[in-house]
Parts: sequence; structure tokens; C-alpha cells
Amino acid sequence: MKIVKLKKTNLFLFLEIISKEADFWAPVKKSPDKHIFEVIEDFSKINLDYTRTILPPKKIMLPSDFNMFQASNTKYTPDFSHVSKKIIFGIHPCDIHALVIMDKFYSHEYNDPYYQKARDNTLILGHSCWPDEYCMCKSTHTHVVKEGYDLFFTDLEDTYVVWIGSSRGDDLIRLKPELFDEDLTDKDIQNFSQRREERDKAFTNDINFEAMPDLMELKYQNLLWDKLGEACLACGSCTNVCPTCNCYNVEDKPILGKNCSNISRCWDSCTLENYSGVAGGENFREKRSDRLKLFYTHKLQSYISKYGKPACVGCGRCVVTCPVDINVYTVSKSLDNEEVDTFWNRLSKEVTK
Amino acid sequence: MNKDKLKIGIYELTGCAGCALLITDCEMELIDIFNAADIQSFLMVKSDNIEGELDIALVEGSVTTENEIEELKDIRERAKVVVAFGLCASVGGIQARFGNKEWKENYQKIYGDMEMTHTKPVQSKPIDAYIDVDLYLPGCPVGKEQFLHFFTRVLKGAPPEKYPRPVCVTCKYNENDCLLNKGIPCLGPLTADGCGSICPNHNLPCTGCWGPAEGANPTSEYFLLKEKGFDIEAIKKRMSNYSGTKLAEFFEQFKKESK
Repeated sequence: MKIVKLKKTNLFLFLEIISKEADFWAPVKKSPDKHIFEVIEDFSKINLDYTRTILPPKKIMLPSDFNMFQASNTKYTPDFSHVSKKIIFGIHPCDIHALVIMDKFYSHEYNDPYYQKARDNTLILGHSCWPDEYCMCKSTHTHVVKEGYDLFFTDLEDTYVVWIGSSRGDDLIRLKPELFDEDLTDKDIQNFSQRREERDKAFTNDINFEAMPDLMELKYQNLLWDKLGEACLACGSCTNVCPTCNCYNVEDKPILGKNCSNISRCWDSCTLENYSGVAGGENFREKRSDRLKLFYTHKLQSYISKYGKPACVGCGRCVVTCPVDINVYTVSKSLDNEEVDTFWNRLSKEVTK
Repeated sequence: MNKDKLKIGIYELTGCAGCALLITDCEMELIDIFNAADIQSFLMVKSDNIEGELDIALVEGSVTTENEIEELKDIRERAKVVVAFGLCASVGGIQARFGNKEWKENYQKIYGDMEMTHTKPVQSKPIDAYIDVDLYLPGCPVGKEQFLHFFTRVLKGAPPEKYPRPVCVTCKYNENDCLLNKGIPCLGPLTADGCGSICPNHNLPCTGCWGPAEGANPTSEYFLLKEKGFDIEAIKKRMSNYSGTKLAEFFEQFKKESK
């Protein structure tokens, strides 16, 4: 690994040089307090003063709805039009960890070419962040990154300390090496350490993820799940905004007037009613509480057993998104016997009145 | 007539006829539609209608008169597959939002004891109140893309999977800032998807015009809106606007409470 320095005033110049032949994705403002990743040409639109985007960067690899192939009686034509050369700039450590989880997921047994090709064509340019009250990444140990990026920019007032995480990242630096300074001063290192220390102290959330697999097992029949099921709107938002949720549905879209079909793929959600529906009209998880159990088993238990870490990267998107307060924070805290002030707790009291 | 083509009939009961009109609005695809299917009866677009055996009948509108009950039963007898086409046929539409008692009072208020000679009016109901319905395609009116997808699949003998999902799914795909979280009474979680979340895309709350999504949780949404400070009557009115007879069971609990 190599570390270099870039003057902030040179950032746009560098971005201009590297983005010539690629779609350049960066965080921009969607509303006064919400951000999204968008393809931009005007770098002044970039807004790095953000905590989390509405949708995670998974949408850049696999759009929420895209065409996989066209099929007729005699021919099969794969469609990789969602794949193009891309650069994602300004992505935070939690989201980089999520991509690393996705990488594992889409390659560990069956290689998913639709993900793989998109990923191979994408450069990850990370950026440092500052937590708000919903960030849980320190508890999931995803607040710092060691892999999964090509370059990582740490903001130190008037300069960036840039970590080079891959040979592709190194190639980018070599496009304009004179912009970078290889010598970090003692002052730079001191600033870097100080920032890291202060940031570590800024986290207000602490969740005991290590205890979750056992607690999930012990509390599988707990009344908590009924309370959650009572309140769950089954809107699918939690899974859509989750950077590690990867379930999808495939649908035939025949073309009128032609003897062929587009086979399209869209994000699916385990909290929707028909997710566990099978041929013959059976449904294994008709109850909302059963579907939530599935979601949280995946996030807090089975993934830990398989890969040694939770399938939650602590981004806090479920916390700010779920209208009825069902999220990794409140569920984990409740499993850990802590009283949480949530809509689903209040609703439960209301309906049993 | 081509023997290979499926025989289709498109019928309009009580509604605004917007769903049938939508078919005529598929201008780029009209030739393909008429090439792919043998449209036997479609009062809005042709006069030489043939009322015989049908492969598929698309029925728009809700049932509001005794004549319509007879017409509907006749369609059912002639058609192999009956599709409830649009919100009114699927759930009864805006005109079905009243319970029987309320409907009778309203009727009395407007028509009094006036004698109806042509046919006798009945309380508005979705078509599945009178006949078996094979497929549903809600919408007010049905979306163009949604209709073409549905129609093409039905023609190929593979109707789309009944995959109920609420507006929120597409709304999130479109990366809208959740209106419900901002304290705006959005019915997205209760409403069947298909519109492309068009209202939230323009920062307007979902009014529920695609009708209730299967698997939706009206109780939770009701209490959530109540907690956010909305007037109980206003919430009920909003939720019942387009839900027709489908949320009747949900509203029933309030009647019990008030007794």
C-alpha cells in the first residue's frame, strides 16, 4: 500500500483527468437533507458533506430493474447494457464493506456475471466520513477500510491523504503524478491520527453484534416478533435501502408483435408478502413476523455463522427509512433486553388496550 | 377472422371509461394490439361488435345496476378468462366507498322515491361480488406500460404472477425522500404498485388510487397517521377513498368501537 497527498484545490483537476472515459458517480443533494449517488459531469454538484445516500451504491452495480437477456424459440441474446466503465467517488467505508460482502455473495458458489462484469468495470474512490447519531459502523467494525477500494481520500482540511488500495488505483495516480506528493510530513501524520481519534469518539451507538447469533436463537419464539409483525407495513423499504440485501426476482416481459421475450430482473424484498410464495399457491411466510425473522436471521445470525461478521455494515439507512422504527438498531437493542422508544412498542400497547 | 388469434371482448360497466380509453391511447402499439388479438367487442372503438364466445373478457367499471349484473353474468358465461380491468372493476372504485346503510341514505337524499324505469340501481360493488374473476389489473386508470405487459403475457398464455407489492417499492427505486417520515399522510405502503410512484416523484403523497395492495397493513398505517396528529375522520376518509370494498373488514372494527 502506498499513501500520497493531494491538495484539495487540485481535486477537480484530478477527477477531470480520470473521468474522461467513464460514468462518474458521486453524491449529490436530492433534498435539503437527503443525498443520492448520481452520474454527474459538473463536479461542482458533488456534495461530500453527507452521511448516507437514500439508496446504497448497489444500485450502481445492479440497477433496481434491468434486462438480463432476450429469448426467443431459437435464440438467446444476453444483455449487458447496464455494464459500462464507472467510477464511484465519495463512497464511505460502510458502503465499501457492503460491496465486499456483495462480492463474496455473488461469487462464492455461483458466479453472477451481471454483478461481476459491472463490478470489474467499476473503480471505487472512497472518502472519509463523520458519524451521526444513527451510524452503527463502529459496532460492526466497518468504520475503517482495509480492502475493497482503489483509492481512499481522507479529508484533512486543505489536503487529502490518499490511500492507494489497488494497482488500478495506482494507475489513476500515474495519469497525473505531478498532482500528488509522496512525502507526508510529521504534521500530516499527526493530523491524520488526531482526526481518527476524534472520529472514533464521535460514535454514540454501541451494539453488541457478537451476542446477536445466540440471542436470535434464544429469542426465536419471543413475543417481540409478534410486536414487530403487527407494526411492519410490509413496504420493502428496509431491504431496498440495505447495502447488503441482494435478493431479486426475474420476470418474463414478452414483446407485443414479436415472438420473443425480455427477461428482466428487479430487486425483491423478503418483507413482501409473496416473497416466499411457491408454485401451487403455497406461501411459507404469510405472516409479517415470520418474514421479519427471516430478514434479521440473515443480518444478525446466519451471515455471522458463515462469514464471521454480520451482514449489517452499520450504515443506518434502515434506521432513517423505516416509518415504524423496525431497524437493526431497535431490533438488536430489544433482543439485548433494552427498552426502546419505538412506534412498534407504542402500537402494541395501543392495540391491546 | 384468424383462427389462431384469441378472441377478446372489452366491456365497460360503471366508471369513467378511462381504462378503456387508455387502450386507445396506446397509439404506437395499437396496430400490434389489433394484429395480435381478435377484438370482437369494444364499444368505445367499433360498431360491428360480435357478442359470442370469448377467450378473454376485460371488464372495466363497477356494478351499479341490475342490468349490469345480467350483462356481467352473460360475459362470464361466454368468456374463458375474465379480467377485472382497472380499480372500479377490481375493488369497486370511489363509488363503492360507502357501506350499504350509508349508500341507501345517500341514494334517498339524491333520488328520493323517484321511479327508475330502465333498470334498478344497486349498491356499487366490484365485479367479483357477482362472478368469479380470473385476473385482476388495478389502476385508476391502469398504467399504459402495465396494461401492455399484462395484455402481452395474457395473449401468450402466461398471465403475470400475482405479485403484490406496494407503491413504496418503486418509490424507493426512484430514490424519493419518504413523505410518511416527513409527516405527510402518504398511502404508499397501503397501495398496489403500478403507477411508477408518480405522485411521490413530484413530492405529493400517494392517495391510494391503485387500490389496496395485498398484504398491506392498514391498522399500522392508521395508528401511525393518528400518532402523527392527523384527525381520525380525515385518516379514515383518506384511506377509504379508493379502497372500495377491500378494506371493509378493517373499517368494520371502528363501527364496533363506536357502538
